[in-house]
Amino acid sequence: MEQMDSGTLVTLVTIIVAGVGMILGAILPAIVEGRAVLRALEGMVRQPEVANDLRNTLIVAMALLETTAIYVLLVMLILLFANPLLDRFFPVG
Amino acid sequence: MEEVFPEVAFWIFGIPVRDTVVSTWFTMAVILGGVVLFRMTRPSALEMLVEFFRSTVADVMTGVNVDPYIPYLGTLGLFLAVANNIGVVPWVCTPTRDINTPIALAVTVLIAVHIFGVQKKGLWPYLREQASPMIVLDIVGQASRTMSLSLRLFGNIIAGEIIVAVIYRLVKPIAPLPLIVLSLVTGVLQAYIFMVLATSAISTAVRTKDTAGAS
Repeated sequence: MEQMDSGTLVTLVTIIVAGVGMILGAILPAIVEGRAVLRALEGMVRQPEVANDLRNTLIVAMALLETTAIYVLLVMLILLFANPLLDRFFPVG
Repeated sequence: MEEVFPEVAFWIFGIPVRDTVVSTWFTMAVILGGVVLFRMTRPSALEMLVEFFRSTVADVMTGVNVDPYIPYLGTLGLFLAVANNIGVVPWVCTPTRDINTPIALAVTVLIAVHIFGVQKKGLWPYLREQASPMIVLDIVGQASRTMSLSLRLFGNIIAGEIIVAVIYRLVKPIAPLPLIVLSLVTGVLQAYIFMVLATSAISTAVRTKDTAGAS
């Protein structure tokens, strides 16, 4: 660890953070969306006549819940592919 | 991997024109050509499409006459439903994978909300309605809604593109096909979501106390 210069260390930490952040950002929205589907299905079983309304609300709500996962994905993509801080503070070569 | 990020296709009078702009023109041509074709052979299909848009908008905007808003919202839904999926055509890229296209559409939603409010209620009553103690939160809310609309659309489309590009690099060439089919589904879904959220935003601007209850 002592032989690594700061540029390599920062790049390594960036990769690890991107991986861990993406894992968390994928698991948590998935758990919450699963719970939303569970409640919607229970409601559909209890009252089949409002199943259509429930389905439309469910689709819209899942897209909204997915949004924060998309935010995490975008930040991770920027970290990995278009990171401006790495190039500014630790120029390669 | 480089083809995921947009690049300049040609220059007109010194202004660079990106390949996503050319794709937008192609999408417009496809939509117009499709509509002309359907009008000649089977107009009932077009009626069903307009009825679908009208019923979707009327479900969100309860209690108001939705006919003035169908052209704008139907255009949003139809353009996005075609544009998100036009990438399967060879040599054509999806216009929404450039961050500028979703941002432009979200800004038009922002402007359209105010224009529809003024059109429905008149300039001074609308402005008087906006002058409440919540106006700072309203402005912040509108900015964040614009950003979230554009980032949601852009993020979904670009995620699909990057995954397909990465898998294409690893396993050629048949492996990305199921992912492309999946991104067809998310393309249509994101177009529907964009239209429903734009409808909800417009309904907050045009609702009055006697049509209360709109989402």
